[in-house]
Amino acid sequence: MRNALVIFRREFASYFNSPIAYIFIIVFLLLTGLLFMLNFFLVGQADMRGFFGALPLLLTFFIPAISMRLWAEDRRQGTFELLMTLPMRPHEVMAGKYLAALAFFGVTLVGTLPIPIMLNALGNPDNGTLVTGYLGTLLMGALYLSVGIFTSGLMRDQISAFILGVMACLIMWLLGQTFVAAVFDGWIDGFGRLLQQYLGMTSHFEPMLRGVVALGDLVYFLALTSLFLALNALWLEGRKY
Amino acid sequence: MIEVRDVTKRFGSTVALDRVSFAVEKGKILGFLGPNGAGKSTTMKIITTFLAPDGGQVTVDGIDVLEQPLSVRRRIGYLPENVPLYHDMSVEEYLVFVGRARGLANPRLRERLAWCVEACGLRTEYKKRIQELSKGFRQRTGLAQALIHDPDILILDEPTSGLDPLQIIGIRQLIASLAGHKTVIFSTHILQEVGPVTDRVAIVNEGRIVADGRIGELTERAMGENRVFLTLRRPATEVEPALRGLPALSSLRALGEAPNGACRFELRAPFRHDLLGAIAGLASERGWPLTELQESRYSLEDTFIALTRAAGSQREVA
Repeated sequence: MRNALVIFRREFASYFNSPIAYIFIIVFLLLTGLLFMLNFFLVGQADMRGFFGALPLLLTFFIPAISMRLWAEDRRQGTFELLMTLPMRPHEVMAGKYLAALAFFGVTLVGTLPIPIMLNALGNPDNGTLVTGYLGTLLMGALYLSVGIFTSGLMRDQISAFILGVMACLIMWLLGQTFVAAVFDGWIDGFGRLLQQYLGMTSHFEPMLRGVVALGDLVYFLALTSLFLALNALWLEGRKY
Repeated sequence: MIEVRDVTKRFGSTVALDRVSFAVEKGKILGFLGPNGAGKSTTMKIITTFLAPDGGQVTVDGIDVLEQPLSVRRRIGYLPENVPLYHDMSVEEYLVFVGRARGLANPRLRERLAWCVEACGLRTEYKKRIQELSKGFRQRTGLAQALIHDPDILILDEPTSGLDPLQIIGIRQLIASLAGHKTVIFSTHILQEVGPVTDRVAIVNEGRIVADGRIGELTERAMGENRVFLTLRRPATEVEPALRGLPALSSLRALGEAPNGACRFELRAPFRHDLLGAIAGLASERGWPLTELQESRYSLEDTFIALTRAAGSQREVA
């Protein structure tokens, strides 16, 4: 745990050592804020359904941008060799990196808190659904990040890691869409719906926007996140070159 | 103590290391030589547990690198060929990070930091970001990183690459000063660098150890014979028969006569015979006016070329 913490501190600080982090946060806040405002004035309701509803697709691009550097950068600049010869287990290094990325995403989310604060000032939102909405967003971010850290390990440069990560997250998003499920159902009846239910992300995220936190949905997110982290750890341990 | 036994490593279909064996005793320094791509870095990566060997065994202080990699890593300070630096950190932040990651805590960490900064000559650059440093200072930061936890064993891959002559001397002195209490393997392809630091070398070529021992022994083995050049002002017809009578002489070659009547010879004899002494004795006995009598010293380059060539031609024959 102490080892992971050492890695965490360095990785987390390094996000803020580069201007990219600030650009990332500003773009993310501007974009989500804009989407919220459009929806807010259009519908005139004191909730964040429009805001949260846009995140699954938005984060397929934003999250890989956070995670792309995690391994690819170390492999490019040779520090991977340093990390893998430190007296700690590879999965401790991975945990530190993953948690740093998650914390960075958390900081970004904290930046959106003015929205619920404003809603409370202007109207009477259902704060329960806001909390579950944030919980769902965090779980979704955690899942996308686990996909992203895994793809970052497979690539030697950040751009390829980013593109691969976006593709993986996008597939996960697409599988949850009804129009995609319909296409698969057209080939093999029931197959599309099966994929949508078990692998698609949206069907597990949307209940939380309505304030429903089902055990099955929590299991879905935690299980898939653990799966990708485990794959990443396996890649690290099995690395022989 | 580092023991490498029959280590083999393949990358796809290329054999990077082919049954490599050598050992370094505790407190000794080994110069690891070889042309680029010979397998020096791969061997070091295996000792430091970064790569796993496909065959053979490596032990560090008796601990197998595959069985207990963490205990091995704790004992080793490693400077890889591509110096592993985080460019966005300052020298201080970077060394603190590596120190913590290696389990150091204050006040020990602060003490080691001060020592490393002093030993590696980093005081002026301590607060600077690594991306602002020159190549030489980056190299020294990498070296400081390898020394931070005061390891018993140091694996240094090309520690002097990119340094200017003065810096090279500094690093050499630093490595030489570690002799006796630390076990060191350092690789280089600059042969002049080895002599001042250690006389124990292993030469690797095309994934095989072609020579392992003291520089002197390797030279004798690689070159086989000692060479002496002799010039004197006497007719060749008088000198040559006398020289032929020298014991253990394996070859004599007249190198021609100068207009002033001086003639020059090249004589060879196995290393164990004192050819130079024998010639000097003969000359004083006969009263020859010598103008040149010198043993041609083989440099490590000659030895290296002879050894790597011999290995190459053996392979062609096979």
